[in-house]
Amino acid sequence: MTRVIVSIKSVSCWVVIIGVMLFLSGCARMASPESFFELSSTYSKDKALQSRFFETSNQRELISASAAVLQDLGFQVEESESHVGVLRAVKERSAREWGQEIARTFVALIGAIGGKVILLPVDLHQQIAATLTVFPADNDSKKFCSRIIFHRKVWKGDGSTGSSHIPPGEQRLEMINDPVIYQQFFSKLSKSVFLEAHQI
Amino acid sequence: MNKPYKVFVFVLGFMLTACASGPQKPPENLLALTDAQLKIRSYQTKVFEIKDRLVVVRGVVQALQDLGFIVERVNGPMGMITAGKFAGEGHSGFVELTVVVRDKGSAQMEVRVNALFNTAPIEDPKIYQNFFRVVQRSLFSQG
Repeated sequence: MTRVIVSIKSVSCWVVIIGVMLFLSGCARMASPESFFELSSTYSKDKALQSRFFETSNQRELISASAAVLQDLGFQVEESESHVGVLRAVKERSAREWGQEIARTFVALIGAIGGKVILLPVDLHQQIAATLTVFPADNDSKKFCSRIIFHRKVWKGDGSTGSSHIPPGEQRLEMINDPVIYQQFFSKLSKSVFLEAHQI
Repeated sequence: MNKPYKVFVFVLGFMLTACASGPQKPPENLLALTDAQLKIRSYQTKVFEIKDRLVVVRGVVQALQDLGFIVERVNGPMGMITAGKFAGEGHSGFVELTVVVRDKGSAQMEVRVNALFNTAPIEDPKIYQNFFRVVQRSLFSQG
């Protein structure tokens, strides 16, 4: 029995050590400022995913139809600029996931057996945002390119390392690159303006 | 007698130090333009041979989108753009920038960008060169 407890304690000790090493390795990889303004290797693929051409001369109609589609999808329009052709919309949702909750409980249980309750912070809340631009695609302004970028900001809840409290509010930003989401948006927009969406 | 006396001295001392420090004055050279700032301004600025301000603003917005920035605010007639992105491995830092597009004579547009990384100004000329390279490419592809 004592041996079992000792081995469980050593397992929990390893969990803490691995956690600390992962945390420290995360700190060690600092951002390289020179890469901030360099194009990524996937930029043209991302652009193709996020953009469609519409054969219309009515930019305003394309922007207002896009706003209507975003409203249908539960977004609130935050900002619009008709001269340039920019629209921003957001929606707030819960970010809780079963997988993270199970992992948090599992780590807490192992920690509790070892005498230290470790609580991993989990995702609590998210803001999903859409930035849309509608720019002329030719010199005669008879063709417009609509580009939408979906991204989400996620806020984590609090946690504990066992000896100290991890405060809530840590946030991260994720680009949404699921092709289905973009296809759905452009399909709805296409139906809304009675125009075919052409891929770039 | 000793304890209340000590407390009194402590409180008095605390009050006197608070009075002595007073409100902090801002540094006198807060808005002074130094040579270093002039140098930074020169590589934060680039002139493009384009007459139409909206064309340049759209070009900058497209370039920022290609670079993975989230465009937060755009004002076309004023030529102002604000954007930001989480950057670096594990998205550990935040880069934010402001771009101002202004007329330079009757046939040119001047683009000025200033970027911050984790609220500290970015002063490396190479970073701005990279930015203008992408803007140039975007304006060229617009035709």
